[in-house]
Amino acid sequence: MPDWMVEATGLVKTYQRRDGSTVAAVQGIDLHIRRGEIFSLLGPNGAGKTTTIAMISGLIAPTRGDAKIGGHSITREPLAAKRLMGVVPQEIALYLELSARQNLEFFGRLYGLSGRELGRRVDEVLDFIDLTERQRDRLDTFSGGMKRRVNIGVGLLHRPQMVYMDEPTVGIDPQNRRRILDTVKRLRDEYSLTILYTTHLMEEAQELSDQVAIVDQGRIIARGSQGELTQQVGEQDRLIFTVGQQKVEEALLRRIEQSAEGVTRALYDAPAVGDADGAATAGTITVFARRGRRALPGIILAINDASLEIGSVEVREPDLEAVFLHLTGRALRD
Amino acid sequence: MRHIFTIARHDLQVFFADRANWFGLVLMPIMLTLIVGGAFGGGSGELRLRVDVVDQDGSPAAADLVAAIGRANPTLYFCPQQATADRFNCEIAVDKPLDVATAQERVRRGDTNALIVIPAGYGAALQTFQPLTIAYYSLADVTTGDIVAAALDAAIAQVNGAVVAAQVGGTVGDTFHRGATAANPSIFRDAADRQAFTQQVAARADALLQAQPLTVTYTIAQLRPQERPLVTTQGFGQSVPGMGSMFVMFTVLGMLPIINKERKQWTLQRLVTLPLRPAVILGGKVLALFTLGMIQFAIVFGVGVAIGTDFGSAPAAILLVMLAFTLCITALTIALATRIRSEDQANGLSFLLAMVLAPIGGAWWPFEIMPEVMQMIGRLSPVSWAMEGFRQVIFFGGGLAEVLPGVGVLLAAAAVFFIIGVRGFRYE
Ligand SMILES: Nc1ncnc2c1ncn2[C@@H]1O[C@H](COP(=O)(O)OP(=O)(O)O)[C@@H](O)[C@H]1O
Ligand SMILES: [Mg+2]
Repeated sequence: MPDWMVEATGLVKTYQRRDGSTVAAVQGIDLHIRRGEIFSLLGPNGAGKTTTIAMISGLIAPTRGDAKIGGHSITREPLAAKRLMGVVPQEIALYLELSARQNLEFFGRLYGLSGRELGRRVDEVLDFIDLTERQRDRLDTFSGGMKRRVNIGVGLLHRPQMVYMDEPTVGIDPQNRRRILDTVKRLRDEYSLTILYTTHLMEEAQELSDQVAIVDQGRIIARGSQGELTQQVGEQDRLIFTVGQQKVEEALLRRIEQSAEGVTRALYDAPAVGDADGAATAGTITVFARRGRRALPGIILAINDASLEIGSVEVREPDLEAVFLHLTGRALRD
Repeated sequence: MRHIFTIARHDLQVFFADRANWFGLVLMPIMLTLIVGGAFGGGSGELRLRVDVVDQDGSPAAADLVAAIGRANPTLYFCPQQATADRFNCEIAVDKPLDVATAQERVRRGDTNALIVIPAGYGAALQTFQPLTIAYYSLADVTTGDIVAAALDAAIAQVNGAVVAAQVGGTVGDTFHRGATAANPSIFRDAADRQAFTQQVAARADALLQAQPLTVTYTIAQLRPQERPLVTTQGFGQSVPGMGSMFVMFTVLGMLPIINKERKQWTLQRLVTLPLRPAVILGGKVLALFTLGMIQFAIVFGVGVAIGTDFGSAPAAILLVMLAFTLCITALTIALATRIRSEDQANGLSFLLAMVLAPIGGAWWPFEIMPEVMQMIGRLSPVSWAMEGFRQVIFFGGGLAEVLPGVGVLLAAAAVFFIIGVRGFRYE
């Protein structure tokens, strides 16, 4: 039996709304995370990622199920389990009125550090997140990316064996995102940390993960290494046609599926009206096909016959996005 | 235990990092304490007793009499003669003159220590040397040394003396008129003549003094079932504990939105994911609130000390009341935190509570000048129990024994609030 860093079984969380109705946020999740790996929970907003982390970090009590961190039950030996973990919440859980250093020192003390040891760790972390120069400035003068880095730094102060990172790149620019992704990899490669990383961005999961679990509606719908997962879609390419706000009939999708050899499935996906991206990118037809490039002409003809204009075409090799689409029929976006 | 201090110290650090909090903690309380203290007649450290005077005469002579009573006992102040513009120190209607019936009722209710009625024609009577009666009403038994009555007696003796002197002076004037001629500037013809004049003046003065034109009738107003303390207004002795208590509520209850904010910005949740017991986290919050409350008391009482207010002779008793009250408000804040859903709600509730509990508990004016019904309602306010304790020490020379009942009530309330708060506190 492998030496699991995190071993969660049958986690369920049901919230009671004030009107009496219930929300099944997590409906039975098992997790097995090996030491030293980056394990991603990939899923759209509302899938239950944050709720899962809240349960295995001891923030909320599971309705059912339990998790062991380094062999310690989070429900029965919470202090022992918590000592092993660092938590990077999805929110910037910091005191903006204080400086970066003051924040780190405060949380460091509560991790049981003091004196010179505390000072040394804080210096170390500041150096690691590259904020030594700005350490005395109040956080409310920091950019979003800098705050995110401090948010991560707090979770590393006590040199934990494992870190939970809940969407640590939300709301920051590409440059800072790059930086954070590199940081996550360094934590695994240089410090041998185990990392549980959640994201709704396929590219991030793809770049970082040793293991991925795809979550949707409170359940894990697929898990494995990236190779294992993409095999579920087979050797199929994904052809993406943007069609704007034009109406796409079910009949057209069926015709596309017949239009060329190797086409297995055609899906239409239109984001809700009022989407942040606006009308320009609305409406895509996604076609799964073996040898996608060969199938392309036939599909284009079929779409033309239906008098639809094609905005753009994209051919993608198998990826996690395709897996999600394949399994749920929905795109993995927020 | 160490972590409780770490959290409390940190919460204070966050509190003081916000400039606006300094304004609420230091500037506002100091300003209001001085303003309200001034409205109560200022006079730091000086005990002043309220006396109603209905002047039906309105002559300069009547005003002189009031001034003379004031000179006889400077701790007295007269309503409405010495009322402030808002009549706050006298607690009488701004728009209505004080009439005898109202004033008598005030004496009976204990809203004033005594009533002096100067009848119409007082000034004229003095000039024509007519006997006249001044009415005096008081709850106190005159024979057992009513200090207001004593001052009145002294003033009247002085006025009587002056009347006599005036009459005598008149006699002297007559003599001058009779005797002085251009041919003979000396009014006395010889030594015998001078002797006769002196005797004549002495006899006249003696006769006048026997007559005692001004007299006072003393009426002991019907006593209420329970005797009341003197109605005092020592400006700062009232305003310092009053404003202190109110601002402790503003400051401590004012942390209610902060608890909510910590939940919203996820720092509270982050604390829960640290290897800490929940009791340690809540303990740190409680200690922070409590410390802030005590700092607030220290600031306001510090102002009182700086301007020389007399806080009595039992500092330990005062400290005990402060501790109990601050603990009670801290517990109340934690109890409320279990019910609060949003920062706005928290802001509104904490302000409203402070603004209601302070006045009905006697933080803005002496509790005993409030109507009886209001006093009964006011007992629901923790402020009333704290003020009771403070006043026992500051005005009536009380010590630990005298403050214990109020402290007991405050601690009992604190215990109830803490149970509610600890049971219902939400960390997520
Ligand atoms: N405290 C709560 N009360 C009620 N519903 C909640 C609560 N927290 C989360 N949920 C619901 O549970 C589901 C999962 O939420 P969450 O775990 O935050 O998803 P994710 O992190 O994957 O975006 C969502 O439908 C969300 O609305
Ligand atoms: Mg989330």
